[in-house]
Amino acid sequence: MKQEGLKFFTDTDLTACGLLIFFLFFIAVCFWIYRKGSQNLYHRMSQLPLIQGDDL
Amino acid sequence: MKSTGNALEKIFYDDAIVRKFVLATMIWAGAAFIFGLLAALQLAYWPLNANLEWITFGRLRPLHTNAAIFAFAGNAIFAGIYHSTQRLLKTRMLSDTLSKIHFWGWQAIILAAAITLPLGYTQSKEYAELEWPIDIAIAVIWVVFAVNFFGAIAKRREKHMYVAVWFYIATIITVAVLHIVNSIEIPVSFLQSYPVYAGIQDAMVQWWYGHNAVAFFLTTPFLGLMYYYVPKAANRPVYSYRLSIIHFWALVFIYIWAGPHHLLYTSLPDWAQTLGMIFSLMLWAPSWGGMINGLLTLKGSWHLLRTEPLLKFFVAALTFYGMSTFEGPLLSIKSVSALGHYTDWIVGHVHSGALGWNGFLSFGMIYFLVPRLWKTELYSRKLLENHFWIGLTGVLFYYISMVVAGITQGMMWRAVNSEGNLVYPDFIETVVRIVPLYWVRALGGLLFIIGFLMMCYNIYKTIKMAPKDLPDTSVLVERTGFDENPKETHRKLEGLGLIFSILAFLAIAVGSVIEIYPTLSLHKYVNPNQVTDPYTALELAGRDVYLKEGCYVCHSQQIRPIVSEVLRYGPASTIEESMYDRPFQWGSKRTGPDLSRVGKKYPHLWHYSHMLDPRSVTPKSIMPNYPWLAEKNTDFLILRKKLSIMKMLGVPYQDDVVANADIYAQKQAQEIAADLEANGAPKGLEKKEIVALIAYLQALGQKGQKEQTK
Repeated sequence: MKQEGLKFFTDTDLTACGLLIFFLFFIAVCFWIYRKGSQNLYHRMSQLPLIQGDDL
Repeated sequence: MKSTGNALEKIFYDDAIVRKFVLATMIWAGAAFIFGLLAALQLAYWPLNANLEWITFGRLRPLHTNAAIFAFAGNAIFAGIYHSTQRLLKTRMLSDTLSKIHFWGWQAIILAAAITLPLGYTQSKEYAELEWPIDIAIAVIWVVFAVNFFGAIAKRREKHMYVAVWFYIATIITVAVLHIVNSIEIPVSFLQSYPVYAGIQDAMVQWWYGHNAVAFFLTTPFLGLMYYYVPKAANRPVYSYRLSIIHFWALVFIYIWAGPHHLLYTSLPDWAQTLGMIFSLMLWAPSWGGMINGLLTLKGSWHLLRTEPLLKFFVAALTFYGMSTFEGPLLSIKSVSALGHYTDWIVGHVHSGALGWNGFLSFGMIYFLVPRLWKTELYSRKLLENHFWIGLTGVLFYYISMVVAGITQGMMWRAVNSEGNLVYPDFIETVVRIVPLYWVRALGGLLFIIGFLMMCYNIYKTIKMAPKDLPDTSVLVERTGFDENPKETHRKLEGLGLIFSILAFLAIAVGSVIEIYPTLSLHKYVNPNQVTDPYTALELAGRDVYLKEGCYVCHSQQIRPIVSEVLRYGPASTIEESMYDRPFQWGSKRTGPDLSRVGKKYPHLWHYSHMLDPRSVTPKSIMPNYPWLAEKNTDFLILRKKLSIMKMLGVPYQDDVVANADIYAQKQAQEIAADLEANGAPKGLEKKEIVALIAYLQALGQKGQKEQTK
């Protein structure tokens, strides 16, 4: 069964499908990162290296 | 900013361990650079091999790469991670004892490498040369580091993990997976082993490891350091935190797939080659996103380059990161790889990353850390400036000379005239042409070292100015971020260390399994009409000499299906020809010609003369002499064990051949020695390593022919 499944790795439709899934995931991540109301959170996160208690 | 309203707590960061790692970084950097310069000079002027087996290029080059990657870059990573993690998470590391075990354990591993590699104890797999006891030590110390790091995450006072910590997590998880999977080997003796993988399996696993050693040892941890130290040095936040998130997930998802671009046009199945090429091209986007994010952090503050000169190192490092991550995918395009692979172009590419990106980022970090950790001022900003410009000139000399050398030699190799013949049929012609560029490369390396020596003096004087007593200073911190809504999606992703780590692991596991698993089913790809004979016992002994001397450093054993290669070396290599090769020896550089079909091309005496003095048969050769091969004896008795291990791993040896391996080997050695003697070589060579090596070289390309012609 595993061997049967693996032989389809050379199937161009399947690899194109995989590429599409990756691309859609990437687009989804981009949308998620720019979701509404997240600006303050990311602003605070970006300040983390600068707000510790010592000057190091 | 939300907080729990908890009272301020007084804590102490462990800066002593950071100071140790900083000093270790500088010491090992010096060693790595000196080894590199000597190796560069050996290529320009072969007598510098000095007829000494311990510093001959084939053994020195792995010493240089291991020192540069694991000693210099490794210690720099640990210094930066121990320093920044404590501050980003507002906690001391989990255990000072674990920190010390990590530090001293890692230095002991480096020392073990520095002793064993010159002695020829090697697995002959690039960047994974160290033998099995050291491999185990690396795994143990890495686990100590992981426990210490994840323990700090567990007890952190800042709920949110800054993006630098994400990069550290991905590094720790992935390096562990890479190291363990690639190091599965069967010990033969205390300092020798054979990998469980063979041929294309070994090639696929090794370059999955090799490429991702670059990705997850030389890129992701340094990106984490960049996301911390560039904002710190510029005193402004990263340009776009959102972009850093995309940068992280895109890199972690994509990088792991790109390994097969090291094996384009080899006998690796086409689907894997194409997969590697496509994912390499996809890396352009996140890599440049990260570079732009780092550089734009200085947007509106470029004047800081005048007042904070150490920022120059960070800007140059990011620029080199951009250059090398542009060039890497470019070289992964099959038609570009056809020209560039096996040439010095790759060496130039690697060093623009290693010297420009890793080197300059580490230097900038050290210049930032030392005055702060030793509670003093930098001794000389002028020396820092001079270090930067001399070092930068050195990297550019190095890079440009190697790209020119690589393209020149690549064009000469492929030149075919109108009658279908090679324009430069003698390989040595293409070597002699680029030797002047080897001198330029050595000059570049020398300049880089001069700049580094300035840094050493500057840092030494800085530390001399420091107060004698350096107690850990206290800081006041409060717990933050713990009262946010736990159902908030972002909190779920990176506020929960365990889930985040599992997701990062899954991201690298998917690509790894899909690429590697099919090649483990080797039988699917083997043509039953082209089965290869295994090596004889003496040939196997000779192969181990070949591995020990690091011949793979300069000679490939893989003929690509490209017209000029087939004209020069013979029919393209097949999967079957290397199906019993543990480890595979396809190589990645041709300072000398490919050897996969060198068997029976020359008489035994030619090989004997060539190994003792290459210039006696190939005038102007830059290959070292190997006089000790005619003096050292072959260990015949251990051959029974070696063959039995090979048989256990699936090599079809007859029981009789295994049981009498030493006798068969001695018989074959006597035949070769008799032939050598009859043609003018000295008497009594049958026990010498050179005879075993000749047996192996004469077997190359011969093992499959009997079946193929049936």
